[in-house]
Amino acid sequence: MDTTPARKPGETGFNILLLLGSIFLFYQAYKIAGFSALSSPGAIPMAASATMVISACIIVAKEFSRPKAEGGAKAFFVQILPFTLAVMCGLIILFAVVLQKVGFILTGLSFLFFSIWFLQKRGPASAALIALLCVVVIYVLFRLIFQVILPEGIIPERDIIASVKHWFAGAK
Amino acid sequence: MPETLQYFLMTWTQPQLLFLTAIGTFAGIYIGAIPGLSVTMAVSILISFTFSWEMNNALALMAGIYMGGVYGGSRTAILLNIPGAPAAIATALDGYPLAKKGLAGEAIGLSTTVSTIGGFFGILILAIAAPFVSEFAIRFQPRDYLLLAVMGLLLVGSLSGGSMAKGVFAGALGVLLGTVGLDPLTAEERFTFGYTDLMTGISAVAIMIGMFGVSEALDQMHYLNMPGVKQRLERIVPSWKDVKKHLPLGLRCSALGTFIGALPGTGGDIAALMAYDHAKRSTKNPEVPFGEGAKEGIVAPEAANNAAVGGAYIPMLTLGIPGDAVTAVIVGAMFVHGLNPGPLLMIERPEIFWFTVGNLTLATIFMFIFGMTGIKIFTKIVEWPKAVLLPVILLLSIVGCYAINNSVTDVWWMLGFGIVGYFMKTYGYQLGPVILGLILSRLIDDNWRRAIISEQESLVGLFKGILTSPLSLFLFLTIVFLLFSQTKTWTKLKARVFGRKDVNIDPTQV
Repeated sequence: MDTTPARKPGETGFNILLLLGSIFLFYQAYKIAGFSALSSPGAIPMAASATMVISACIIVAKEFSRPKAEGGAKAFFVQILPFTLAVMCGLIILFAVVLQKVGFILTGLSFLFFSIWFLQKRGPASAALIALLCVVVIYVLFRLIFQVILPEGIIPERDIIASVKHWFAGAK
Repeated sequence: MPETLQYFLMTWTQPQLLFLTAIGTFAGIYIGAIPGLSVTMAVSILISFTFSWEMNNALALMAGIYMGGVYGGSRTAILLNIPGAPAAIATALDGYPLAKKGLAGEAIGLSTTVSTIGGFFGILILAIAAPFVSEFAIRFQPRDYLLLAVMGLLLVGSLSGGSMAKGVFAGALGVLLGTVGLDPLTAEERFTFGYTDLMTGISAVAIMIGMFGVSEALDQMHYLNMPGVKQRLERIVPSWKDVKKHLPLGLRCSALGTFIGALPGTGGDIAALMAYDHAKRSTKNPEVPFGEGAKEGIVAPEAANNAAVGGAYIPMLTLGIPGDAVTAVIVGAMFVHGLNPGPLLMIERPEIFWFTVGNLTLATIFMFIFGMTGIKIFTKIVEWPKAVLLPVILLLSIVGCYAINNSVTDVWWMLGFGIVGYFMKTYGYQLGPVILGLILSRLIDDNWRRAIISEQESLVGLFKGILTSPLSLFLFLTIVFLLFSQTKTWTKLKARVFGRKDVNIDPTQV
C-alpha cells in the first residue's frame, strides 16, 4: 500500500529509468547462459532481473494512477535536488577524484572546510577550526591508533611519522 | 558447561573487550539518538575500519553499537519528537507528549528500564532457542533455505508499511548485485562487461556504506535548519510502582519483539510498531489516552525493539540469514573476518555463539548504566549542528570505504550507490531489502542450484518435494500468504472479517 498521495517531482522519470535499467540487466542475464538449464549460472540473475522488470512495470503502472507532480523541473530542483544537495554531491565527487593523488590530510581538510563553510553559512574561521579539529581527531584515531591505511598523496606522512618516532627514540 | 561459561564471560573478563563493548554501547546510544545517523550506517562504516582487527574486538564493538543504537533512538523521540531511528517512531507518539508535560526525565527512565528488560528477554531466548534451531537447521534441505531467504525478502517489503512492489524490486536488485563477478561454481562471468575489476564482484561493504551512509547523509541535507527544542529534566529513575505496573505488558511486548526480530528480514522498527498496536488494543483503561502521553505507549515499543536485537541474532547465527538490516551488515563483517554464520557455526565454533550472548548481555548492562546517566550532556550533543555532522559522516564514509581494499573503485561504487540510494529513498523505495538481498544472494543462488540439481532439473520434482515436506510446505504457504496479503482482495476480506482498517506508519518516511 502506497501512502504517498501525489507523485513527487521526477518520480516517474526515475521509475522509468529503473524499468529500462532492469530490462537491460535482464538481457545481460539472458546472455550469461540463456535458457540452457535451470541450474545454469544465469538462472538466479535472470530470475532476479525478471522480478525487477515485473515489479518496475507494476510501480510505473501504479504511478500513472496517482495525480501528477506539480511544478515540473523547477519543483525537482527545489524539493528533490536543491542547490545545497547538488553542491554537496559535487564536493564529494571532487573529493573522491583527488583523494588518492593529493592524500587524505589535504583533501579531507579542504572537503570539510568548504562543506562546513557552505552549509553553516557563517564566517570561514569557525569552519576552518572545526575542519582542522575533525581531521586531527580522525587521523589520530584511525591512522595512528587503528592503523587504517589512508591515501598518503603529496605529504610524505610515513617519513614524518618515522622521523618523529626516531626523534622520540633519540630523546630517550 | 564450564567452557560455555568461559566463552560467555570472555567479554566480561578481558579489559580490552569490556572497554570496546562499553565504548560501542555508549557510541551506539548517541548514534541511535542523533536523527540521520543510523545504527546500520555506523556498523557498515565500522566494518571498514575494523576489518584488520581481531574478530572478537570487532564483534564486541558492533554488538555494543547495535544494542545501544536501538535504545538511543528513543531519547530524541521523547525529547525532540524526532525519532533518532525508525525503531523509535512509535515511542515518539506518547514519549513527546509526556515530555511536553515536563515528564521527560521520567519517560527516559521508564524507556531505559523497559529497554533493558526487553534486551535481556531477547538474549535469554537467543541463548535457549538458538542451539535447538541450529540442530533443527542441519536437517534443512536446500529448498528450505531458498524459501526462507525469499520469505525474508518479502517480509521486509510487506510488513514495513511501504509499497510491496518497491520492496520486491529492492530485494531483487540486491540479489542481482550479489551475483556480479565470476560464478563461484563454474567461473562463468556474470555482469562483468569485460572489466577485470568486476570479476571479484562489487564490494558489499561499499554498497552498504553508500546505501546507508551517503544516501542518509544526503537525505538529511533537507533538514539542516531544524530548530532544537529545550527540555526540563528532573526525576529520571522510574518509581517501582510504575515498573511493576507495566512489567506484564513489557514482558508480552518483549516476547513479541523477540519473535518479530527472529523472523528473517524484520527488525526492531516493525517490532516496535506492532507492540505499540498490541498495547493499544490490550490496555483497556489507560490512565492517559494513547497519543497524549500514555506510559504504555513507551513501554511497549521500547521493550519490543530491544528484545528484537536478541531475536535478530537467532536466524543470523543459526541459519546464516540476517534477522534485519543491521544483522545483515554484521553477517558481512563476519564474512570479512572469515566466519561463515550458519548451522555449522554452532558446532564448529560454539565459542562465537556464547561469546556473542555474553557480549550482548554486557552491552545491555552498559545500556542501562549509560541510559540512566549523562542525559543533560546528551541533550547538548544531540543538538550538534548538522552542517558539521553531515560532512564528517561523508568524510568517514569515503575514507572507510577506501580503507577496505585501498581501492578508489570501491569509493566510486559507494558514491554511485549513495546517490542512487538517495533517489530510491526519496521516491519511497526501502534500502534494507537491497542489503538483505545482497547478503542472501549467494545463499539463494547456491541453494536453488543444489535443490534443482538434486531433482534432476525438474520443477515438478521440486514442487513435489515442497508439498511433501511439512517445513517446506509451511514456508511456501507463508510466501504465498505474504504475496496474497498485498492484494486488494485481502484488504476487502480483512475489512469484512475484522471490520477495521490498519493504521500504517511508514518507517521509510522518517
